[in-house]
Amino acid sequence: MSERYDSIVVGGGLLGAALAWMLAREGARVALLERDQLNQHASGQNAGSLHFQLEYRMVEHGWESARTAAEAMPLHLEAAREWAALGDELGESLGVAQQGGFMLAETAEQVEVLRRKTALEQEWGLDVRLLDGDEARRLAPYLSDSVLAAAFCPLEGKADTRIAGPALARGALRLGAEVRTRTEVVDLVPAGSGWAVHAVERSEAGERRLRLEADTVMLAAGVWTTRLGQLLDVSLPTIPLALMMSVSAPTAPFVPHLVQHAGTKLSLKQTGNGTVLIGGGWPARLPLAADGTPDLDSRPTLLQSSLVGNAAAAIGVVPRTASLPIVRSWVGTTTVTPDQLPLVGQVPGRPGVFVATGGSAFTLGPSFARSLIALADGRPPGIDLHPYDPARFERLSHARR
Amino acid sequence: MSAAHDLVVVGAGPAGAAAALAAADAGLDVLVVDEQRAAGGQILRTTPPEFGGRRKLPTGYPWAGELLDRARSHPGIAWRHGATVFGILPVTADASSAGGADASAGPGSADGADASAGPASAGFDVLTSDPADPAGSGRVRARRVLIASGAYDMPVAIPGWTLPGVMMAGAVQGFLKSQRLRVADRVVLAGSHPLLLIVADQLLAAGARIEEVAIARGIPSPVELLRALPAVPGHVRLLGELAGCVLRLLRAGVRISTGTVPTEVLGDGRVQGVRLARADRGWRQTGPARTVEADALVLGYGFHPSTELARQLGCALDWDSAQGGWIVRHDAQLETTVPGVHVAGEPSGVAGAEQSRAEGELAGLTIAAALGRPVPERALAGARRRIRSASRFSGVVQRMFAPRREALLELATPATEICRCETVTRSTIDGFLDENPFAGTADAVKLACRSGMGPCQGRYCESAVAGLVAKARGTGVGEAGRFAAHIPVKPVPLQAYVALADDPAEVP
Repeated sequence: MSERYDSIVVGGGLLGAALAWMLAREGARVALLERDQLNQHASGQNAGSLHFQLEYRMVEHGWESARTAAEAMPLHLEAAREWAALGDELGESLGVAQQGGFMLAETAEQVEVLRRKTALEQEWGLDVRLLDGDEARRLAPYLSDSVLAAAFCPLEGKADTRIAGPALARGALRLGAEVRTRTEVVDLVPAGSGWAVHAVERSEAGERRLRLEADTVMLAAGVWTTRLGQLLDVSLPTIPLALMMSVSAPTAPFVPHLVQHAGTKLSLKQTGNGTVLIGGGWPARLPLAADGTPDLDSRPTLLQSSLVGNAAAAIGVVPRTASLPIVRSWVGTTTVTPDQLPLVGQVPGRPGVFVATGGSAFTLGPSFARSLIALADGRPPGIDLHPYDPARFERLSHARR
Repeated sequence: MSAAHDLVVVGAGPAGAAAALAAADAGLDVLVVDEQRAAGGQILRTTPPEFGGRRKLPTGYPWAGELLDRARSHPGIAWRHGATVFGILPVTADASSAGGADASAGPGSADGADASAGPASAGFDVLTSDPADPAGSGRVRARRVLIASGAYDMPVAIPGWTLPGVMMAGAVQGFLKSQRLRVADRVVLAGSHPLLLIVADQLLAAGARIEEVAIARGIPSPVELLRALPAVPGHVRLLGELAGCVLRLLRAGVRISTGTVPTEVLGDGRVQGVRLARADRGWRQTGPARTVEADALVLGYGFHPSTELARQLGCALDWDSAQGGWIVRHDAQLETTVPGVHVAGEPSGVAGAEQSRAEGELAGLTIAAALGRPVPERALAGARRRIRSASRFSGVVQRMFAPRREALLELATPATEICRCETVTRSTIDGFLDENPFAGTADAVKLACRSGMGPCQGRYCESAVAGLVAKARGTGVGEAGRFAAHIPVKPVPLQAYVALADDPAEVP
């Protein structure tokens, strides 16, 4: 005997919760399955930047890779619109504040990067403008004199990673969706015109096996996507990136913007609680399992070099951070793909199964969700998803065989 | 950075001092890092030298003076006092070379996943605050680390507990021992741990007026006393000390009420009174509360082990309420589940100074043996024997005075602050659990409600948060889980991270 749904969402991060809520809003019978608690991994552990400018990691490796990364701009523009409206649609705050974001330059070379980057982004339709150091400091008096120029994008800002995912899940619950935590998917097999999802529910009392059926299955599992792909015998390659973030004790508001850097890994913002969040992509060490693949179930460890580097980058452009008491530095594991573009679309050869992950999946989560639901309904997704088609890796892996 | 020490010991109490001495006697090069100005920990804390006079150690531990003197003068032991260990990083082979890992984790590369093997082989970087410079920090390399970080007072959230004048028994005793400071003139003490009587006696001697001592449990039954008898040999002195406290309190006319719990602290801006009520055998309030005027309430329901460094390192922990809550899992050698990381004293289960000292001795010896120093079997056997003997006594104390956590949790009303750093009330947490049936762990509540995210890093609220989760979900506290701990385990200024660089030139 199995339970029957219109759609099953696998993964209880921001994307999974957004999918469950949007599906339930359309009247679908939805179950969301999460192997741990909701919002415990990348969605709850990232710094909540709503960044739409190209990031440092996209511009540090030359112009060709920046041009490729810019191809994801339509998704970013769509995401900026989504986030602005999402809280009102849901009827609950997601801690969204879009008060603008800077990308800073401290050397002549970085100024040149900003100049070219801004021009490229403007071609793609992003509202971004280049300011000199004094103009930037007029908008942001907390910036140090070492800042020579800044690209300012008024759409940028932040969302509260602590509350956004659970708020969307509560929205889904209110609309009749089921949310099951401590429930891990262990197999995905075709059943009739849809899919049977086999799962194991864990509790103090032991394990219980479940079989659920649905017309569509949405994979929103971040770094666990590749594993789910294996259950379907499809290559969905992802690379886990363990990244460090730090947070200070609350202090009086002084940074209303998102702050990033064109020459080093830095993101800095102040939350609604007054805490200052500092990150930007400094690596941590992800332990390896016996077979040499990243062990996603073990806790990553911080690197001394990252503690030093991230702190120096923050203090360099926002000197007041030097004396802020740091309460926690932690590691979140984000997901990228081998070609840096997200995976969004139908799982190749598995009609009814859809996937989204890879690269800025917090910022882009609501857009990913909207696009997948449109695809599943057979509607045009609003943006051209071809560059993100998951089949591109499947073709590669077949070519190798 | 200086060359690696064989062993870095965190904490200079009975466990840490005994471990350092045993390890140094066996030939290891040992560094002890401790937050206090002098060795001894909380239990052997004394006034600073500026006060003059002879050192006065508690009479229950005849070995204490010699242990501290020998450890302090041992040439194999270096001391860093006034410093906090705010984190410990495992060193892997690649990170120990060329100033750390390549900082440029480029797109498409798998830099986030490190190709190095397990963490233990290359030792640990112990990160310390700098006592001379609040913006500074230090980093010492250790082949092995021993966590002997002691315990802290078990927090109990009752209405009004955040008023100035509500203090914990261990803290009150700390003021008396270190500064001869009497925290208040008119004091009510409430709790269940034997320390409460000792502190009441010490406050009395310091000139305070003890308005009442409210003990949660009843008088021990004859059966309990009979069961406790085998534990007594060897600990007569300690029991005698406790009996002396009670006698002196009674002689001074102090009211000692059993089966009594505090239900509320009264006052405007500071403690002005305490509401006390009768409680049943399960510590649940049975009768109406009465008011006792006082300017301080001292709470003493027991201790929680300081396990934050073990948590931060990823050591496994187990829930054991009677032993103090979450305790660090360890083998017979006192090694944790992270190879190279050892525990001794309270983090292995709160059991008092006698057992802590014996565990420290065993840990010091086994670490020396693991690092290839000759250690006589006789010495190991002696340490094991002393642990067994001490644990007979501590086991009885744990059983007789185990806190009834569910009942203590019910002293918190909906408006009571559970997390005082982030001012999160019980009703906020209960409300979240109601509205989010999918949430079932303490960490999920922490992330959503911020309870446990403040400067105390959850030490004050973890057990209450987990208790509320367990109650709402009908599970045990063990399944509700614990908060994760991160670097820094106590806050440091951001500048202190920059100071961790090997070489200032390394700073980007």
